[in-house]
This record gives sequence, C-alpha cells and structure tokens, in this order.
Amino acid sequence: MTTSRATTGEVARRLSTPIILLAGLLALTLLAAVRDDIVFERVITVMLINLVLVVGLQIFMGNSGLGSFGQYAFVTIGAYGSIWFSLTPQQKRVALPDMPRDWWLYEQHLPFWPSVLVGALIATVVGALIGIALVRLRGAAFMIATFAFLIVVNRVALQWSEVTRGSRTVIGIPKYTGLWTAFICAALAVVLAYAFKESSIGLKLRASREDEDAAASLGVDAPRIRWVAWVISVFFSGVGGALWAHFIQQFSPHNFYLAETFLIVSMLIIGGTGSVSGAVIGTVAVALASEQLRQIENWLNTQRTEGTWFGDLLPFQFVGFTEIVLAVAIILVLIIRPSGITGGRELSWPRRWSRRRQAMPSPADAPVKPS
Amino acid sequence: MHQTAIDGAAGRGGQLVASQLTKDFAGLRAVDGVSFQLAQGEILGLIGPNGSGKTTTINLLTGLLRLTSGQITVNGTDVTGWPPHKIARRGVARTFQVVKLFKDFSVRENVEVAAISAKGVSRREAAARADRALETVGIQHLADVPASILPQGEERRVEIARALATEPHFLLLDEPGAGLNDAEIEVLLATLQRIRQELGCGILVVDHDMRLIMGVCDRLHVLNYGRTIAEGAPDDVRREPAVIEAYLGTEVVAGEPAGG
Ligand SMILES: Nc1ncnc2c1ncn2[C@@H]1O[C@H](COP(=O)(O)OP(=O)(O)OP(=O)(O)O)[C@@H](O)[C@H]1O
Ligand SMILES: [Mg+2]
Repeated sequence: MTTSRATTGEVARRLSTPIILLAGLLALTLLAAVRDDIVFERVITVMLINLVLVVGLQIFMGNSGLGSFGQYAFVTIGAYGSIWFSLTPQQKRVALPDMPRDWWLYEQHLPFWPSVLVGALIATVVGALIGIALVRLRGAAFMIATFAFLIVVNRVALQWSEVTRGSRTVIGIPKYTGLWTAFICAALAVVLAYAFKESSIGLKLRASREDEDAAASLGVDAPRIRWVAWVISVFFSGVGGALWAHFIQQFSPHNFYLAETFLIVSMLIIGGTGSVSGAVIGTVAVALASEQLRQIENWLNTQRTEGTWFGDLLPFQFVGFTEIVLAVAIILVLIIRPSGITGGRELSWPRRWSRRRQAMPSPADAPVKPS
Repeated sequence: MHQTAIDGAAGRGGQLVASQLTKDFAGLRAVDGVSFQLAQGEILGLIGPNGSGKTTTINLLTGLLRLTSGQITVNGTDVTGWPPHKIARRGVARTFQVVKLFKDFSVRENVEVAAISAKGVSRREAAARADRALETVGIQHLADVPASILPQGEERRVEIARALATEPHFLLLDEPGAGLNDAEIEVLLATLQRIRQELGCGILVVDHDMRLIMGVCDRLHVLNYGRTIAEGAPDDVRREPAVIEAYLGTEVVAGEPAGG
C-alpha cells in the first residue's frame, strides 16, 4: 500500500503551514527592526499583540464554530492582573493609588514574564469557571452570553478602584513589551493554535462543529472539548492583555471594550475564521491597511486645513475613516466570501498536481499510481 | 444458515436489550412499548412503513432522544438516560438516515476522528484503524477525497466505515440501502455479512429494501404506528397477516418473493 508514503508527504505538507506563517511574521518583524521608523515599528508591534488575541480567538471560534464577543473581558483581567505583579510597591502608589497599603497584593513584585504568566493565569481561571456554564450554550445564545460577560467585567473594572483605579487611567507602567517580545508571543500563539487544530482534540472539536449529533454518536463529548478550547483561547487573551498593558503603559477599562472587540473579530472574519492562516492574514491585512488608511485620512485633513484647491473640495473633516472602511470591508467579506480571505484553508506547500486532479478516483484505479 | 448465526452469537454473550421503549412527541406516541434484544454476531432487521418509529427507536437506543419510559442495557450495563457520547463509548455505533458526514474533512479524517473519539487512541493508531475500516467497507481508494464531493451511495459507505472505526459491539444502520442500485445492494449485503463474521458485531438494520432485509437478517422486528406487530424469522414474519396488512398497497413484502 502507498498509504505510509502518502502520509509522510501529508505530514510535510502540514508542517509547512506554521513554517510559512512564522517566516512571514519574522520577515515583517525584521523589517520593522531594521527600518529606522518608529511609527512602523509601533504598527508592527501592535499588530503582533493583536495577533496573540486574534489567534487565541481563532482557537475557539475556528474549531468550535461558535462566535465569542467576550475576549476583551479576559484581556482586561490579563492586563490588570499582570500589572498587580509587575509593578513595585512604589510604582503601585502612583499607578494604583486606591489599593490599600496593607494588602498582600500591594507588596508583591515579580519580573515581567512571570507577571504576564500570572495575569494570564488569573484570566484563565475566571474563564475556566464561566466556561463551565457557557459551553452548554450554542449559536446566538452563546455569543450573547460572552458579550454579557464582557459587560460584567467592564463594569466591575470600572467600579473596583482598589485594583483598577476605576474609570481613571492607570499610569506609569514600565515599558517591557517591545517588538521582539510581541513577536515571540505571537509566534508561540500561532504554533500552538496550529498544533491544537491538528491534534486529536482539535479534530474532535471540528467534527462537532460540522455535526454535533454525529460527533456525539462517535463518543465526542462536545461541551467538554469546547471548554478545553475556550480555556486555551482565554489564556491567550490574558497574555495579550498583559503584553498590551506593558506596551501602552497607561490604560483604563475603556481601552478594552466594544471598538477593540470589533477590531479583533473583524480581523478574524476578514482573514477566515476556519484556519490559523486566516487569523494571521486577517490581522496583518487589517493592521497594514488601517495604517495606510490612517495616513490617507491625515493627508486629506491636512489638505483641508491648509486650504489647497483639493482640500477645498472636501466637504468635511474626516474622522473615523479607518473604522468605516473596516466595517464596509467586513460587510463585503461576509457577502462575497463568508469564510474569509483564506476560505478556511491553511497556507501550505501545494499538493502535487496529480493528486489534485484525481480528486474523485473511480474504484477502477484504486491502487494509487504514481504519475 | 440463519440458525447457526444465532447460535454463534449466543456464544459471545453480549447483548443490547431494549425493554418497553416508549417515546412521546407532543401528543404523538412515536414508539410504544417496543422490546427486543440484539445479540453480538446477530443481524436484526427493524422494518415498518414510513413513520412507524424506526428512526426514533435508533435515536432512543443511541441516547440522541430521551426515553419517555423504558430501559436500555448494553452488555448488562443499564445505559438508560445516558448522553450519546457515553453510550457510544459502550460500543454502540450508528449511521443516520439523513447522512451526517463531517463535510469539511477528507474521508479518512471522517473515519479517523471516530477511532480517536471512541477509544482515545493516538492519531497514528487511529489512522491505521481508519484504513482498516475503509478496507472493510471497500472504499480505501476514496481515503483522500473530501467528504463534500462524494456521491450519495459512497456517503453511506463512509458512514458505515466511520461507525466501524469505533470498534463497536453493536452497529445500528438507518436505511443503509437508501438510494443504492441493485449492484450496490449486493455489495452492501456482502459487506454486512463480512462485518458480522470478521468483527462479530450485532447489527440492527432499518431498511425499506426487502432484498437487503431478507438477504441479510437472521430475525425481523416489525413496527407499525410505533408498536410491534410481528417478530421472528424473516420467512415467518412475511406471512403474518398483520404485516401484510400494514404493508398493503406498498407490496414490498407480499409482492417481492425474490427476497432471499
Ligand atoms: N423530533 C420529532 N418531533 C416530533 N415528531 C417526530 C419527531 N421525530 C419523529 N417524529 C414523528 O414520529 C413518528 C415516527 O417517526 P420515525 O422517523 O421514527 O419513523 P420511521 O419509521 O423512521 O419512518 P421512515 O421510514 O420514513 O424513516 C412519525 O410520525 C414522525 O413524524
Ligand atoms: Mg426513519
């Protein structure tokens, strides 16, 4: 039988996906590192942090087929959770002035990476608990419940000023997240998401996405497996929040809400929910396009304020141009290509032509002939 | 020949026992006090006119629907009220009247995921089991084809292979012969015999094709309006007045003597 050889080829083809994705990301990161352009470096760093969130979201949405609008609840927890530990007591006095001095938490101080991990783990524990209830829901009910949870966490963060400084901005967080920190986390997220998808648990989850009754009849406990994917996904949301906190250096709960949720969901849908490649391509495409749009927007507005002949033609100041284009893009993608740019496929080394041609062999040529 | 098969099955001991299965759908009693036993190594035909409760019975046995009353045991374990995935892990596999393949997967992946799910084996071992199941059903050549482009007849064969990959003790087939031509029915007949002999599964076959039913079943169980109206050896059952009446006009039992 040719099975074993075909399988080896298949394994190589599958390995090619994460290699291609990582090579692409590495190229962009290197470009940002060597180009002496602070704006571009910033764009790429933000893109890589967003990629951690989008890939994390893909782990859940792509494999389970359920939509989540709740990731920013865990980004919030990851962000605050990490600064509770990364800040020294002196820094906390400025950043979180409402935290009582006699709290155990006030005294804690950890290096950057352990703080990221602890922040992400706090988010994960919360996510794991709420997930027990969530995974019993399906479809619209699930989406609404995740969204409701985002609202809950947001309100709690706004009120609980001992640990969040309430609606006021937390300031004075050291900048630990740089371009390469973001790259390392994004690369890990991509590799893990791909490994999860190809693992037996990923396969089972995708089967239940296709047909939950059929999967159950084979022994798949869909809610339990959905929970596992949810927990992994939440972990990456927490990591993304922690990275973001130490990149932006100041934030409030308002920075983790609707517009941000819309952005990562758009990135995933535009790229294609069904594949890790979709998450990567969507994030890169939206990040680079947004940057271009922002520059165009600036240019147009400058023309107007300077009163050039072209600027005089413009009826109004352009505000939110980027968001509008993004919204239109998502509508177009949903209409023209509902499964995203990648159509749910992974980027990979192409199969040999012969294999693709004989997609539907007849029983007559059952022994696969090498051609 | 039928008799020896039953004797052989008794030797293996395992049984799927349905007692007094009853299922109400808002005002309609779709299954009404149905009892039967399926031994490993035995092939039992579950037949009856459209809407007589055959699919509902399979859904009850696999936990997809909750019983209104009644009891189900698998090899001595009471599985009444268990969720479908737990019943599946006890060795009860099925196919669906309306085929439910994982369309995004290749044929091999469809079967592989079954092996992984039921027994928790590694992916490598699962691939080997998948190949064996595909071979048993005679569709190894389709392994790499996407499930979404299969013709209907092949879809049903993939569903059987998928069920087999769970290495079940009992296999419940809901109209495996639907949409198959005469030659394909012959192949299916041989496949079912082979599954029984090589794997020792107990098989429950629901079908309207009397050539398939008469050709492969050791015993028949006939439903009408959710109730059992006859059971026993195929040749006896087809002469029962109640069965002839239930099928009157549909001529399948009475009018197709070329059965066996
Ligand atoms: N989910 C459901 N809700 C309400 N009624 C149902 C449901 N499923 C089946 N029924 C009804 O129960 C009865 C038995 O249906 P079932 O599908 O079991 O019949 P069947 O013997 O498999 O028929 P067929 O040969 O057409 O497949 C029918 O009257 C059907 O309309
Ligand atoms: Mg039916």
